[in-house]
Amino acid sequence: MNPWLHAVLYSLVLVTVLMTCTAYATWLERKVAGRMQSRLGPTRVGFAGLLQPIADALKLLQKEDIVPLAADRALFNLAPPLTVFFALATAAVIPFSPGLLASDLDIGALYVLALSGLMVFPVWIGSWASNNKYALLGGMRAVAQGISYEIPLLLSVTIVILMADTMSLSGIVQVQADEGWFIARPFGLGLATFALFFVAALAEGNRIPFDTPEAESELVAGPTTEYTGMKFGLFYMAEYLHSIIVAGLGAALFLGGWDGPIAPGLHWMVLKTLGLWMVMLWARWTFLRFRTDQMMTLCWRYLVPASLGLLMAAAVWVHAVHGVS
Amino acid sequence: MTLERPDRADPYLDLDEYEPEADLMVLNFGPQHPSTHGVFRVVMYLDGETIVKAVPYAGYLHRGVEKLCEKLTYAQITPIVDKNDYVAPMFNEQAVNMAFEALTGTEVPIRAQYIRTIVGEIQRVASHLLWLGTFAMDLGGAIGGGTSVFMWCFREREMILDLFEHLTGCRFHYNTHTLGGNRHDIPAGWAEKVHATLGHIAQRVDEYEAILDHPIFKARTEGVGVISAQLALDLGLTGPLLRASGVDHDLRRDAPYNIYDQLDVQVMTDTGGDCAARYRVRVREMRESIRIARALVDNVPPGPICGTKPIKLPVQTRVKDGQVYVALETPRGELGTYVIGGGDNRNASPYRLKIRPPSLHALSALPYVLPGHGVSDAVAILGSLDPIMGEADR
Amino acid sequence: MRYVTASMRAMALSLRNMFRKPTTVEYPEEKRERAPRMRASFALVHNADGEEACIGCLMCERICPSSIITIVQGEKRESAVTGKKRGWADDFTLDLQACIICELCVQVCPEDAIIMTREQERPGYRREDLVLTMDKLYANEKKALAWGRGSILMDMQDPKRPVEVPAETAEAKPAAEKPAAETAAAKPAAEKAEAEKPAAKPAAEKAEAEKPASKTSLEKPAAEEPAEKTSLEKAAAAKPAAEEEKP
Repeated sequence: MNPWLHAVLYSLVLVTVLMTCTAYATWLERKVAGRMQSRLGPTRVGFAGLLQPIADALKLLQKEDIVPLAADRALFNLAPPLTVFFALATAAVIPFSPGLLASDLDIGALYVLALSGLMVFPVWIGSWASNNKYALLGGMRAVAQGISYEIPLLLSVTIVILMADTMSLSGIVQVQADEGWFIARPFGLGLATFALFFVAALAEGNRIPFDTPEAESELVAGPTTEYTGMKFGLFYMAEYLHSIIVAGLGAALFLGGWDGPIAPGLHWMVLKTLGLWMVMLWARWTFLRFRTDQMMTLCWRYLVPASLGLLMAAAVWVHAVHGVS
Repeated sequence: MTLERPDRADPYLDLDEYEPEADLMVLNFGPQHPSTHGVFRVVMYLDGETIVKAVPYAGYLHRGVEKLCEKLTYAQITPIVDKNDYVAPMFNEQAVNMAFEALTGTEVPIRAQYIRTIVGEIQRVASHLLWLGTFAMDLGGAIGGGTSVFMWCFREREMILDLFEHLTGCRFHYNTHTLGGNRHDIPAGWAEKVHATLGHIAQRVDEYEAILDHPIFKARTEGVGVISAQLALDLGLTGPLLRASGVDHDLRRDAPYNIYDQLDVQVMTDTGGDCAARYRVRVREMRESIRIARALVDNVPPGPICGTKPIKLPVQTRVKDGQVYVALETPRGELGTYVIGGGDNRNASPYRLKIRPPSLHALSALPYVLPGHGVSDAVAILGSLDPIMGEADR
Repeated sequence: MRYVTASMRAMALSLRNMFRKPTTVEYPEEKRERAPRMRASFALVHNADGEEACIGCLMCERICPSSIITIVQGEKRESAVTGKKRGWADDFTLDLQACIICELCVQVCPEDAIIMTREQERPGYRREDLVLTMDKLYANEKKALAWGRGSILMDMQDPKRPVEVPAETAEAKPAAEKPAAETAAAKPAAEKAEAEKPAAKPAAEKAEAEKPASKTSLEKPAAEEPAEKTSLEKAAAAKPAAEEEKP
């Protein structure tokens, strides 16, 4: 097939599937959170509330779209679609099964990290354009947090790249399928790297316990304070998309991606992504929130040195196993 | 920027403070804010995210209850003051009725005193549970672990409200105290329900402690919002706030009312005066209240529950003159009621009824505690003070 | 390391809560069990003779802290069943919007005519939906009624009452089993006296005026106070009764 046609068709399918997944991720989250809190969660719209995401979307669409008078109109309107764009663009290189991905970039891992780093921009644009003090504080926190946690995230992915000797995500998964998953190989170091990646990814995605930019009890809604209706919905959607994609990335980098017995690769990939996402959700509904300065302390004082140490350990391990190339 | 301003009498309270050249951001924290939800405002002067000065404004929930009480008769005041401290209404009723009893010299039968003590202690557990939930929500956010703790606390508190519903018929705003005693006697089988519920809650409190015994919770509360013992005494703080600062004071032991003189109330104190100490004090108080209520509920002596003729007419109690101040220990501290007799309706209304709410005093600590902390800590501190604006603004 | 163990424990606890039974219910389909004493809305009831029990004595209107009860007193006329003269309420309006559910009107009712229901009013779209007119109040009689009755509450608070806690038998049952019969048997004299009050206003005021005098007894020790007060009460009750016998 023409690679261009493949890319376009596959992207369309991927976007549709991901959007549906996002919608039902909100349903699942509400249901699970409800049960965790001794509630029922959504039950009204459709069987077991299954149509709830649609009702939510309709509700958001009906809401009045308010642009504050003092806001920078153009930037204010630009930010929400931009977040969704960056979140979706990341998905292009996630390998779902051998060959089933939009584009098998040679620098897939780098591409993902670059785009998730760019996620900070629309948030900052939105918060600045809102011309609101809470949004400004939230945006400041978001940028500080995004930039800081980019480093341990990057370093933990670098460790994987070092061990797999390739930057292509499907290549990394293939190495794991051949030689064993990186979460357990080498023992201990892989697990530590995964934990590092997971924590940094939680922080990067502004999930609790690192959701200081949004911090409703402090900053009302952080960068999205002034957004209403579907514009807020887009921010919300991007957050969920991002969390799903980060879970998929974690599954591909550490849990062996499509690798698994009996069932087809796609099933394993979806299962692993879902499992990882559920752990993120579980953590979200369990923990309290850090303070901004404590988050920075955690990042710069513990995570960055730890990731550097792990990187060195990984280099030594690679040298011991493969020898100097 | 520093607060050392020798030209100002009190650098914390001086109001003409905004200086453009100081390069500060003024943040109106509330009334439209999820943590103060429409009833309270703190104007914060921020240097970056650090609070340099905080000026609290109360009064958004002012309803003129004290003035209203001058028009209502003694019989009608009880259900109205219920709405003051809307988290622990039992204490409001008790406070005004104790004041009226002191004013008229009415004896309260021993059975009524037992019931008052029991419902008071159970209400204290409910109030502290609600505080724990909202405090966790202040720390953990509306979408996150904080809400989980909040929901769990409300789940348990709901069981206490069920107990009150069985006793009084209402889950809230009971109107169960009356001049000279209580209006509702304990129904059959209530003691077993109390035992079951409180035993259950005691277990769950252990669970909350386990879930909150977490480095994040500690990092957010320890050393945050320290109120020294001297400051607490100067501001007239009472209750858990005072005890968390290391001052051993509890009206239940030091100025006993009801049957507290026959009880051995363990007063929970802690040192540090920070949010963590306030949390520890309240959790321990919850356990102590559970213990007291469970010990008493089986031993309620028989007898009448009201020492006077039950309310039949609004004007049946008339007080010509005299004035009293009666204080009791609510979950938030000393709730005082000051009544002067001889008012409207031919002496059937008080001339003046003044309520001393512990929450208002707690809020007065904000200008002294907030500076130096970030916005995140401001929420934690405000939550740990446990202010109920219904009684602060009256 | 502390982070890891504490986080594991916290997550285990939140997982444990996930498998607990949810405490919330889907409200309109499934209702929680409410206490027998639960009070929510109001009903006016018919007495044992099948007549409107309300005698329009204005006791509830006077006691109401929110002043939400409005009664139009009717002409005093004979009851169709017993043939005795009694008061009637021509109109009775209760504005539930401002009601604080304090139960004082129930407590002061000498005829057990106003009773609280255990069912809430259905929410309405207009304010008028929450204003209970006389028709609505009598229609509410068929709803589940709360345990509280004027006579029960008064007996419960009687300083001289017997030691036993009154058994809660009739409370959970619907309106059909009204305790009106037993209360009527218990204290007919007092009720009759109350019934006369609104019609014979001067008498009522006289009784009121006497009350401050009885207040002095409050200062005496509690032991003898109930005895004295009830004797006063009896005297007050006896007077109108005697007046009634005269003609």
